[in-house]
Amino acid sequence: MPELLPGEDPDEIRERYKPDAIKGDMDSIRPEVKEYYSNLGAKIIDESHDQDTTDLHKCISFITTNPPDPDNSNLCILVLGALGGRFDHEMGNINVLYHFSSIRIVLLSDDSSIFLLPKAHSHEIRVDPSIEGPHCGLIPMGAPSSSTTTTGLRWNLDNTSMSYGGLVSTSNIVDEEKVTVTSDSDLIWTISLRKHA
Amino acid sequence: MPLPTMTHSSPFLLPSPPPPPADPADAASYAVVVLNQRLPRFAPLVWTRAQLRVCADGGANRVFDGMPDLLPGEDPDEIRERYKPDAIKGDMDSIRPEVKEYYSNLGAKIIDESHDQDTTDLHKCISFITRNPPDPDNSNLCILVLGALGGRFDHEMGNINVLYHFSSIRIILLSDDSSIFLLPKTHSHEIRVDPSIEGPHCGLIPMGAPSSSTTTTGLRWNLDNTSMSYGGLVSTSNIVEEEKVTVTSDSDLIWTISLRKHA
Repeated sequence: MPELLPGEDPDEIRERYKPDAIKGDMDSIRPEVKEYYSNLGAKIIDESHDQDTTDLHKCISFITTNPPDPDNSNLCILVLGALGGRFDHEMGNINVLYHFSSIRIVLLSDDSSIFLLPKAHSHEIRVDPSIEGPHCGLIPMGAPSSSTTTTGLRWNLDNTSMSYGGLVSTSNIVDEEKVTVTSDSDLIWTISLRKHA
Repeated sequence: MPLPTMTHSSPFLLPSPPPPPADPADAASYAVVVLNQRLPRFAPLVWTRAQLRVCADGGANRVFDGMPDLLPGEDPDEIRERYKPDAIKGDMDSIRPEVKEYYSNLGAKIIDESHDQDTTDLHKCISFITRNPPDPDNSNLCILVLGALGGRFDHEMGNINVLYHFSSIRIILLSDDSSIFLLPKTHSHEIRVDPSIEGPHCGLIPMGAPSSSTTTTGLRWNLDNTSMSYGGLVSTSNIVEEEKVTVTSDSDLIWTISLRKHA
């Protein structure tokens, strides 16, 4: 955080940007970092006994049991650091989207935003061209799709089947500010993020 | 009927080239493809092992800028002449004009494919290599790809789909952190792991379709006729425990293993 906000006092930044909770195996966090945030009141939740779920899975579970606003049904969980890096980690993180398919979870990197489009719904994706696009894709991750239909893309799908080994919609282009997607299969939607000076 | 066995190993990452096999027919021939992302730290090593080098469009910029960066202390002009691609293929909308001219003057084939919008740059490069193999008599071609992982997520997914499209060709996608390749369901797989360069973190990913039954040996958490799927079990953060890992599955799987970082 201090590196991304140069010109401000690092200590003030660290106090301002303090986590509410730190959860996981605790095998990567530096001892002085753990102590610093613990002293500022962050909950430290050691889950090293649970080897069956990924760190992201544990954090999503924590958030669902401790939502920021229990009366608000519009919870959206934004995840930084789930993409890139070790490939098996990335794939495991995407699987978490499938495990929690009724919760809005968006994985973000410098280049891309991705989220699940569950087959149980028709989807309307509002694209703001000042911050995202135009490059996009629809990924039949985990299972083929016999039929997907879209509007708003340069190369729309029309009852089109998709699969690994066949068509996977990548390097598509968002042509309208509203994109619609209906599919018989869960899909991963991905859109590029614009880089600003 | 048991499936035929396919063996996999990564000698191209060893700091010194391994001795040639007793039977020359067993020697692997390598081609390298460079896509438009920052080069991994072992790019010069992998380039040296290959007999054919192809850049996809902006990948040529990465080689031009990146090879001297990875070999500090040597003369950049000498490095650029030494690490010159045999071919540069793609849309030609990312390669810098001066880079294109530089390599063209050194004899690189420039193949403009901007008319073909239906296939990814990686797909075009793999097609090129299959039609122009480095050693036509050698059936042990292995294509190493740099820059296919990370970056834009749709590009990464499209690049992985290329592995499925060319499932009979050995293609390995490499990044600083990981190595990934396809394990086609048509074969039983034997993966030789060299702990000096790779592991221990690994995974098996049922990327395109669920697997009803996968069985492995050599992993910390082996699968035993186990089913895998997105929404269910995907084997990630597994650990390689033996130098030979075996995998048999009813479905195509993506194998991934971490690469060790060296000083």
